[in-house]
Amino acid sequence: MSTSARSPSEIGAVRRWFGGVGRGTELVFDHAGSLGVLAWTVIMSLFRLRVPRKEFLRQIYVMGIESLPIVFVTGALAGIVTSQQGGYQMTGAIPPYVLGSLVAQTVVLEMGPVLTAIVLVGRVGARITAELGTMKVSEQIDAYHSLGRDPVILLGAPRILAGLIVMPALVGFADMVGILAGMVAARIDSGLGFESFLYGARLFWHSWDLFYSFAKALVFGGAIPLISVHMGFRTRGGAEGVGRTTTDAVMFMTLTILILDAMFPPLLLN
Amino acid sequence: MIEYRQVYKQFDHPVLAGVDLRVESGEMFALFGPSGTGKSVLLKTTIALITPDRGDVRIEGESVYFGPDGALDRARRKVGYVFQHAALFDSFNVFDNVAMGIPEDVLERMPRPELAKKVWEALELVNLEPGEVLSKIPSELSGGMKKRVGIARAIVGRPKILLWDEPTTGLDPINTAAVERLIVRLSDNLDVTSLVVTHDIEGGLLICDRVAMLDQGSLRFCGTPDEFRRSDDPVVQAFQDRAAAERALDMEER
Repeated sequence: MSTSARSPSEIGAVRRWFGGVGRGTELVFDHAGSLGVLAWTVIMSLFRLRVPRKEFLRQIYVMGIESLPIVFVTGALAGIVTSQQGGYQMTGAIPPYVLGSLVAQTVVLEMGPVLTAIVLVGRVGARITAELGTMKVSEQIDAYHSLGRDPVILLGAPRILAGLIVMPALVGFADMVGILAGMVAARIDSGLGFESFLYGARLFWHSWDLFYSFAKALVFGGAIPLISVHMGFRTRGGAEGVGRTTTDAVMFMTLTILILDAMFPPLLLN
Repeated sequence: MIEYRQVYKQFDHPVLAGVDLRVESGEMFALFGPSGTGKSVLLKTTIALITPDRGDVRIEGESVYFGPDGALDRARRKVGYVFQHAALFDSFNVFDNVAMGIPEDVLERMPRPELAKKVWEALELVNLEPGEVLSKIPSELSGGMKKRVGIARAIVGRPKILLWDEPTTGLDPINTAAVERLIVRLSDNLDVTSLVVTHDIEGGLLICDRVAMLDQGSLRFCGTPDEFRRSDDPVVQAFQDRAAAERALDMEER
């Protein structure tokens, strides 16, 4: 038997593998295309001033004000943990005030934006997908269409716009809380005074870092509601479909946040 | 007038396989068929809630899919759609739900008292007491009331065509009869064309001028209720027998 001959089961496996790759690629392009169309519709609705004000303000409240407690806790814990671990790693060769810089930079550049985004994925993103998904399977989205209304403008645009506005504010809040909590933790754990901490924080501070933090916040603030709205509108199959789509959306958003986060340093820190 | 021309739709399997159907102006038309034969899908293609893979739908002579710019918007303005489970907006109260039935541009210019009057009238037309329900949200309404609010939303913009997707599903016999009377009364009073997708054959035969039956994605029968009852097509007969048996079983259970 020739070495190049393949059994039917091997050929079947290869076909299935290529079929899987093909379907996966098609799905990626399908999502990318739908996300692009959604983003474009939202941008156009902004230019035409068609975003419903009442719903937009409601979303600002739900996403922003109601998220403050959890963002406060997350930011504080991020600052405390960074301060404790930084303090542990400090040796006699490094001046203690460097801890201030370590905490401030870590919180502002990474922990503040990313942890706030992850919290919002669970608190806001999942909620939006489940809400719109339920509307989809109960034909409320169809009802909007049948009444000549565009659900993307009425339901999607206010959420996406609110995310873009709320997220930088929340990240700014998380940054501030994280640094303050880190400062208190440094005092308790490492005995570093507030003045030394702030001296260290200022010594290596660049204004660019704050811009970097807000740039991340803006991108994450757009990505989370955009993906959650997109997934909500794609929901199919009753209550089970809503659950499945919400889980997929959380995975999709979390991965997107982490991938976008990895793209920031080469783009903005070099 | 609604005209379906060679409408095809496939999901995982073919659902509609070249449906041709014409519903005349002012007519009350019922569409029957076993579950999963594409009745609701056909209804949804009328205003592009589902887009057909091939074929066209024309409303009062204008193509929904191949017409000039704005054809779909114009079609949707002419049509009131009553959803199977009412599809009321959860976060809106009854007033806002019904008000959504008025086209957006008209609604923006309409003075509040006029809007309130229109909503009030629409609710009265569906035998609801407006004063009692206006401020309620859908979760505070019974199934029958939700359905009536859904109908009020569909008629408040004074459409020329009403599409009814299983209007009596999930209702008890008393509410079923009431909704059937409502369909007839509204169709007469508002002088609209009505296309009713229903599994309630007896009700459909009673209230409609013509009926059709879909089977495996194609039109199996189209004619008057009498012709339907007398049809010698074995598929139509089997469908009628099965429906009669289910109805008897249903009555027995009650």
